[in-house]
Amino acid sequence: MATIAYQTASCLYEGAANPAVDRLTLEVDDGEFIVLVGPSGSGKSTALRMLAGLEDIDEGNITINGKDMVGVPSKDRDIAMVFQNYALYPSMTVAENMGFALKMRGVPAGERRRQVEQAAELLDLSDFLDRKPAKLSGGQRQRVAMGRAIVREPQVFCMDEPLSNLDAKLRVQTRTQIAALQRRLGTTTVYVTHDQVEAMTMGDRVAVLKDGKLQQFAAPTELYDAPVNAFVAGFIGSPAMNLVPALVTSEGVQLGESTLPLERDRLAALHRQELSSVTVGLRPEQLEVVPAGQGIDVRIDLVEELGSESYVHAHLVDDRGGASTRLVARSHRRAPGRLGETIGLRHGAGSVHVFHPDTGARIDGEEMSARVGTGV
Amino acid sequence: MTKHSTLSRAEGWRRRAPLLPALLFTILVTQVPFLLTVYYSTHSWNLVRPGSWEFVGLQNYLYVFRDSQFREVAMNTVILIVGTVLISALLGLGLALLLNRSFRGRGVVRTLLITPFLITPVAGALLWKTAMFDPVFGIVNFVLQPFGVGNFAWVSQFPLATVMVDLIWRWTPFMMLLILAGLQSMPEDVLEAGRVDGAGPIALFRELTLPHLRRFIELGVVLGAIYLVNTFGAIYMMTSGGPGVESANLPFYIYQRAFLGFEVGQAAAMGVVTVAATIVIAMLALRLIFKSFMGAQEAA
Repeated sequence: MATIAYQTASCLYEGAANPAVDRLTLEVDDGEFIVLVGPSGSGKSTALRMLAGLEDIDEGNITINGKDMVGVPSKDRDIAMVFQNYALYPSMTVAENMGFALKMRGVPAGERRRQVEQAAELLDLSDFLDRKPAKLSGGQRQRVAMGRAIVREPQVFCMDEPLSNLDAKLRVQTRTQIAALQRRLGTTTVYVTHDQVEAMTMGDRVAVLKDGKLQQFAAPTELYDAPVNAFVAGFIGSPAMNLVPALVTSEGVQLGESTLPLERDRLAALHRQELSSVTVGLRPEQLEVVPAGQGIDVRIDLVEELGSESYVHAHLVDDRGGASTRLVARSHRRAPGRLGETIGLRHGAGSVHVFHPDTGARIDGEEMSARVGTGV
Repeated sequence: MTKHSTLSRAEGWRRRAPLLPALLFTILVTQVPFLLTVYYSTHSWNLVRPGSWEFVGLQNYLYVFRDSQFREVAMNTVILIVGTVLISALLGLGLALLLNRSFRGRGVVRTLLITPFLITPVAGALLWKTAMFDPVFGIVNFVLQPFGVGNFAWVSQFPLATVMVDLIWRWTPFMMLLILAGLQSMPEDVLEAGRVDGAGPIALFRELTLPHLRRFIELGVVLGAIYLVNTFGAIYMMTSGGPGVESANLPFYIYQRAFLGFEVGQAAAMGVVTVAATIVIAMLALRLIFKSFMGAQEAA
């Protein structure tokens, strides 16, 4: 049971121009499951390794239960870590792997065996206790790595992409198991992934990182509904949100030939910032497929059939200059159109996201910004 | 036998044919002399006594086993091999651990540490005998002078030990290189997992690093032992096996018997015994390494 706080914590790799983690500030509540997510090189793993004591905290600090962790070696932090490649001890059996931390703590052999067996039962590993890791399948190794973490009842679980080496089906299954296990044990968990689906489904709260900087730290639904900037908007959600440049008109923003209306206070905010063009964000499910001429006219590039729904990838028909604007729309119907065909897309439910064309920052009306808060 | 398999057999011979000269050469220079040695070992034959050629059956072997000098020399051989291999493996482990961390000039230090292995055995032995251990102008006595060591004759006082010092000096780099390769193939995340699991540096070394290094150390010990059986140059240069046979090993003693005593029959019998013993020990040792590396392959 523990609270964790990153306080403007930075990590600098020798010879690197920019810090791998740049003044990260995060507060994690007791028992909370938080996910650090971001593209590769975003510093998410480094941030986790700083918590585990495997990377130096070069500036700022990290506290666990209010205790400063700067200079405290890993072994004295009472954390357990699950590694991407599991990092099982190859010369030891499953039981010895799981009991290693207890042995290091001086727990007598009998007690150790009892606790290991208990954890093995929880993870369905009882039949493998005497095997070496080399004789296990990928999924079993992953469970041993989990078992090694839970046996010692640590204050904090650190998980560094623990599912990325599993096949797709096992990954989904293990994802729910880990989330359920964490709820049951109630141990504060920091989980790193590059997979935004894992982030959305597992985390109580999700921290999105980019280039070592925290972009937004919020509940998954809030990240989805009110991303603070274009990066978070594009990163969270699959398929990604459509982010297209658009001209500001007196009623709203112009996309192709048609205009998407905006609320008065958002328009006022745009005018206050003297912006003539913005980046407009539309989730694929916010676009309805309609017959040509009834919305924004687009030409179909690709149709992805998923069975329950289909995604239409298309580009704007009247696109005059340079790079053609691409849009993805979700359709509940099968085969909403054929390749090369022109269809219309209409803005359906949900509000349009508007971002600053240069900084990517979210632009809200006063009423909206009061409701959403500032995020970072 | 079907036609198909006869064809493939012919094809097999055609593929093997280019290797045959090498095989013939190997048989000519190793197996034929060995058979000749076995043949000589059943005869009494002294080169300086013309007309001494006489079939004696296994008498030479009986003589070998009754010869107390042979037993002493065999013991010397064991001490030389075991002592050299163990001490150089320990030193090699220590140096490899030091070299496995990064520091300024690591490349230079590594090269310097490897050089003893690259120096001709005879030249190395000569250096140890004269430049290092010489009673009057040797460096060892010069360094120990302040501690009251005078003109101590190391080589004649401790002949076997000084030969071992030279061999350890030469074989430590070999062990170090093998163990260093082992250390560098140690997965970093396993050590990190150990640190997070609460292991301090000593526990990490004992519980994780040493089990990982086991097969590398075994390989070094077995290869080292196989090479050290044949030690000749160092003994010839430093002590000539003396005083008496105090620092002689089996190859050197056989050489003395054959080419200084001209007792061809007896020397041949000793050679046969040595080869037989070496084959038995080498087979056991090689089986050990193969087992350990096969097991490790499964883990990889």
